[in-house]
Amino acid sequence: MLLDATILFQIAGIGIITALIHTVLKQVGKEDIAQFVSLVGFIIVLVIVIHHLADLFQQIKSVFLLKGF
Amino acid sequence: MKWIGALILICTTTWIGFDMSNRLGDRTKQIRQFILSLQMIEAEVVYSQLTLQDIFHTVSNKTAYPINEFYRQMTHKLSDVVTDFLDVWDEALNRLMKVSALKKNEQEIIKQFGRSLGQHSSLQQQKHIALAIHHLERELDEALEQRDKYEKMMRSLGVLIGIFIVLILF
Amino acid sequence: MDIVQIVLIGIVATLLHIILKDINPSFAFFIILITSILLLIIVIKQIGLIIQLLHSLGNKASVNSFYVETILKIIGIAYITELGSNITKDAGLSSVASKIELAGKIFILLLAIPIISAVVEVILNFIPASTAPF
Repeated sequence: MLLDATILFQIAGIGIITALIHTVLKQVGKEDIAQFVSLVGFIIVLVIVIHHLADLFQQIKSVFLLKGF
Repeated sequence: MKWIGALILICTTTWIGFDMSNRLGDRTKQIRQFILSLQMIEAEVVYSQLTLQDIFHTVSNKTAYPINEFYRQMTHKLSDVVTDFLDVWDEALNRLMKVSALKKNEQEIIKQFGRSLGQHSSLQQQKHIALAIHHLERELDEALEQRDKYEKMMRSLGVLIGIFIVLILF
Repeated sequence: MDIVQIVLIGIVATLLHIILKDINPSFAFFIILITSILLLIIVIKQIGLIIQLLHSLGNKASVNSFYVETILKIIGIAYITELGSNITKDAGLSSVASKIELAGKIFILLLAIPIISAVVEVILNFIPASTAPF
């Protein structure tokens, strides 16, 4: 995924959709599946964010000359 | 190009959601149709003395798809020499299961009913028909309940999951 | 990437955060996190150019390049520490934030030890060996 402003909309979109699916499933009565879906959405976004975080730290390390701590 | 792919994906999941939702509605309609056909058979058995083949022919003209196809196939098969009525019945039933939204329970009820056809006196036949109708009406209640609960959910879920996948793969 | 785009990203992120706060509060925090990461990534690339300039200046001024590098590393630690502490503060964990800041300060001190000892030695050498009989 590129380092672009579209990431913000992606994460926001996933957040909204996860909340909607959660609500729909809760209305039918299957709250446990709803919680599971929310958790899954959270984990997906977490993976994306950690990926970018690692990228950021990689760049900082290279710019500030090998902070090999 | 990416937009077109995303749109296709969303349309596909939406269509799947709508299809599953419609299935629930179709199941209730078809169970009702079959109960209707059984009531027609009962009327014919009590008041006229037609053969099974003629009864099936009459019923197939008065019901809707796919129930009428079932009876039409029975009529057609019965016009040849038949060694085993049960086989013919089961075969037509299997074909019906493939094209309809009916589930296992209804299939069992109809199978059981097939075993009772043409075997007993008209009074016994009436009782068997009433029994089958009773079972089917119970299934109808369950099908109606399921439809009310899940119809809207399936549709919205279809759309939402489509958008979800598009966002992840964007 | 000019300043206008960066500011716009910031504003958009704020709006998204406001929207998400009611719907799904945990995802609102993700927006904050990813925004600061995104902005930092954009800025770091530009900082790299400045660093190169400082490096070449240091070489021309024939300063021991070891010192210039140490200074740069300290700046790097400062940035990362600030990122971590601000993010945890935004999430509400100010105690964790102050611990992160503490850790950053300690590491900077660790890096600075050789420089401090070198300075002390220079000062001691400056002062003529005091053989003053007391």
